[in-house]
Amino acid sequence: MSAQAGTAPHASASLETRWRATARSEWIKFRSVRSGPAVLLATAVILPVTAWLLCGYYRNSWATMSPASKASFDPVFISLRGIEGAQLFVGALGVITATGEYTSGLIRSTFIATPQRAQVIAMKATIFAAVVWAWCTLLSFAAFFIGQALLSSPAKHAAIGDPGVLTAVFGGGLYLTAVGLLGLFIGVLLRRTPGALTALFGILLVLPVAVGLLGGNLGAQLAEFLPDGGGEEIFKLLHGGAYTLGPWQGFAVLAAWVAAAAAAAFLLVRRRDA
Amino acid sequence: MMSETMQATTASSGRRAAPSALRRARAALCAEWIKLRSLRSMLVTPALAAVICIGYADFLCWRFTQRWHTFDAANKAGFNPLDTNFNVLVIGVLFFGVLGALVVTNEYGNGLIRTTLAATPQRGLILAAKTALVIPIALLSSAVICFAAFVTGQGILAGGHLPHVTLADPGVLGRVLGAIFYLTAASLIGLFIGVIARSAAVAMTCVFGVFLVLPTLFNSLQGGVWRHTVPYLPPNLGNALWLSHTGTGSLASPAVAALGLAAWVIVLGVLATCSLRRRDA
Repeated sequence: MSAQAGTAPHASASLETRWRATARSEWIKFRSVRSGPAVLLATAVILPVTAWLLCGYYRNSWATMSPASKASFDPVFISLRGIEGAQLFVGALGVITATGEYTSGLIRSTFIATPQRAQVIAMKATIFAAVVWAWCTLLSFAAFFIGQALLSSPAKHAAIGDPGVLTAVFGGGLYLTAVGLLGLFIGVLLRRTPGALTALFGILLVLPVAVGLLGGNLGAQLAEFLPDGGGEEIFKLLHGGAYTLGPWQGFAVLAAWVAAAAAAAFLLVRRRDA
Repeated sequence: MMSETMQATTASSGRRAAPSALRRARAALCAEWIKLRSLRSMLVTPALAAVICIGYADFLCWRFTQRWHTFDAANKAGFNPLDTNFNVLVIGVLFFGVLGALVVTNEYGNGLIRTTLAATPQRGLILAAKTALVIPIALLSSAVICFAAFVTGQGILAGGHLPHVTLADPGVLGRVLGAIFYLTAASLIGLFIGVIARSAAVAMTCVFGVFLVLPTLFNSLQGGVWRHTVPYLPPNLGNALWLSHTGTGSLASPAVAALGLAAWVIVLGVLATCSLRRRDA
């Protein structure tokens, strides 16, 4: 009893110190993920290049487009469509950020150093989200401006001050951050890289295709509840779909998926071995 | 006498230094087979592919029998029994790409690749042995999947008195075989991407990117330079092998698609061989 009292000041550092220490160690680990810079570089190529290719194409073919496709043309969405490619890489980075530690066995040291496992996961997610959000928002703006510069006058284009546009362009960064977090929490849940990647890509990319094959109303309705179909409303200007979800309603669907994965991850990481 | 001993010594030392190419190839095949056999995903991935592809193909066919009475004449005329049956391959191909990728990236993941390369310094031989084993595995599992999905799917359509086809109908067998060829080629593309990527995460990201995201992003582009590039993406070539060619004008013809897909496999194979020989593990 007395021995315990004697070691008490040592054993429990103040909450603030502990958070700061966890933040620093998680930052070092995130910085040293080998594929991190490669992934960030890949997104920096994919977003602007896709904007350039797609917007260049639509500017050239604008004259030959039918009135119906002109009406449904969304200049903001087209310039940000690279997100659909970039989400693969950002999601994979999220997965690796979590599973990399399990693969290398580092997670055991991490949990010995910080037995508050939820705190480790929360800090990991916070640091990941902060870096990815800043970077992807920047790229989202770059893609938007490149795309709008190409979609010149006869073609439909948007200015950053137009209603809803700023939300959509910021939404691009938010969407990618949410996808990365979904990958991170699935990684914590499954603990192995191939399994977690399959699960993430399955939810993100395969489910929309599978639901699309259903056809009819059922397919369109289910699509709105998927992280991809719902979430992408936030970087669209024109909202279609079975329920015509608005930007934030759509994003709430994606956020709900992330929250569900996070809840499961926080619950299980405390109970299972590393 | 002298010459005899000389011959014997050179022969024995020669044997130790360099075993015959045939023996080396057989040893490499055996080693690769043991590693493949003990890889859990080698069982799980084809099994999952079979369950999902056959199950979902049958489900989609069943759904069409339920919705048939709601279709108007144009929808009924546009209905293609084999396309409906095989649409699920858009997803199924991913399993085969991942299967190929995991064959090699698993070794990079656990460090076994270093032992493999030390045991068989002929790196081209290792890749050849892996390729030689992936082909029959992919062929066999894709044949089982395609034929089972075909027989059950067409059976369901026939049961619902919908238009259906049999293998005896003109062109049908060719399209089923084309689907098998596509899935096998996809597993080889996955294997070679895995060799180049050297990590499961990168390889799987690339497989999903090539087979799922590229077509979603670029298939809507049709004019100019796109007309001459987009149909030659691996998934579009592969789908041209089993899709009916009615109404979808941007698909390559089946012969071109088969050759194009083979060309992708060969080019990636050469790149993978160069990458494996030059880079460290």
